[in-house]
Amino acid sequence: MKLGRLVGLLPILALLLAWQLAVLAKIYPPVLLPPPLKVANAFVLFGDQIASNALASITRVAIGIGLAFLVAVPMGLMIGRFAWLDRLTDWSIQTFRSIPPISLIPMAMLFFGIGDEPAIVLIFIAGLWPLLLNTIFGVRGIERTMLKVATAAGASEVLILRDIIWPAALPNIFTGLRLAVGGGWLTVVTAEMIAVKSGLGYMILNAQMTFRPELIFAGIIVIGAVGLLGDYAVRRLKAWACSWQEGLTASEQ
Amino acid sequence: MTGFIECIDIGKIYQGRTGAVEALRGINVACAEGEFVCLLGLSGCGKSTLLQMIAGLEPPSSGQIIVAGRELDGPSQATSIVFQDHGLFPWMSVQQNVEFNMKARGVKSAERRARAVEMLELTGLAGFAGRYPHELSGGMRQRVGIARALTTRPRALLMDEPFGALDAQTRGHLQAELLEIWASQRTTVLFVTHSIDEAVFLADRILVFTPRPGQLSANVPVDLPRPRDPRSAAFAEIAASLRAALGPEGGSE
Repeated sequence: MKLGRLVGLLPILALLLAWQLAVLAKIYPPVLLPPPLKVANAFVLFGDQIASNALASITRVAIGIGLAFLVAVPMGLMIGRFAWLDRLTDWSIQTFRSIPPISLIPMAMLFFGIGDEPAIVLIFIAGLWPLLLNTIFGVRGIERTMLKVATAAGASEVLILRDIIWPAALPNIFTGLRLAVGGGWLTVVTAEMIAVKSGLGYMILNAQMTFRPELIFAGIIVIGAVGLLGDYAVRRLKAWACSWQEGLTASEQ
Repeated sequence: MTGFIECIDIGKIYQGRTGAVEALRGINVACAEGEFVCLLGLSGCGKSTLLQMIAGLEPPSSGQIIVAGRELDGPSQATSIVFQDHGLFPWMSVQQNVEFNMKARGVKSAERRARAVEMLELTGLAGFAGRYPHELSGGMRQRVGIARALTTRPRALLMDEPFGALDAQTRGHLQAELLEIWASQRTTVLFVTHSIDEAVFLADRILVFTPRPGQLSANVPVDLPRPRDPRSAAFAEIAASLRAALGPEGGSE
């Protein structure tokens, strides 16, 4: 990473400073607004608890988004390829994707109780739509000449899907994956506050009930940091898998 | 008259948004094996449409197309097509691109590799096998497109304005190279162009199209010895007769 990139830390440092000043000015009592040092100390005191809850949340998102990928991408490739499938599914997709996954929490709890299952189902749903729509979009954007070349060469439908449509749609699939991971992360934290007894969402809600504001703050910081790392990981994966795109598109870093 | 490629009373009608559009009417073409035939016409005269129908990419609305003695019901193994916008796959290296048509026909990988190397040499691309299309100039990309088309040993090469997007100098080089390839591979060439000079330089015979609806208006044999000199009087004479045959709007160059 170039040194110039570190300029991105400035707003965060400014926020820390403002936080410390607010504590010193006693705008809120320490039971609501703990000083930064106390929060930093919470990472030491509750390190194990934070780590195990973070791991639980990350695992749920990985499973939920992984399943969504396995379902949405093949579906999207087929829908994008065959116009009649698109006509069949378009209205349904547009309807279901407008439903916030969080609004399904009550139903998920009725069907799956309390635990990993409802959370994973909700994450799956949160990731499904962006992956599906971006995959379809990617297939549609494919240059027609490429398909003509393949058809004229007598390529089978399987070869066309594997060697042409899948790689052509891959950049868009990664855009979908980025949105899915982001959406899945938002969903897991919310779901854990209600339907699960572990994870970062559960941890910060529990910290509120046991009057540990420093743990709430620590939890929020971890949620933000993991979200950032997740996004970074997907972007690196895309850069690696779509390296042929270098020099074709304007950089979107 | 019978030929290697025969179009018998071809018509094409598109259902447009504003009603039916007649793209081609009463087209009769017979092209002998080994012949170099140019389809010359202004844009929108249906010459590309005819070529794509001969490639088996779309069916005629009426009439019959016969390639290598068989009526078409899809792409024929005896033909290969080259497009103006080349239709190379940006995620594949030059080598992989050139191998694609053979892969589509189930050629074993060792044979594919050897044949691709041979065709890359023929088209002056030896040493570029590992490059990606975006690393090549327009002229080199079109060479890759031609190499790919030749790998399946087509008895006829169908070329849809292959040099239309290139600068004049590159275009001149590729025209000369194409004639060499044609002479060495003994393949039939059906070549679509809107350039009178290009047609006179290349063809044994020129079929002139006039638009709305696309019809054949002249069949002009070119008996000049090769290599042809575009500044010679005989060249200019044929070009002038073609300009007249194209009608009041004239041709380019």
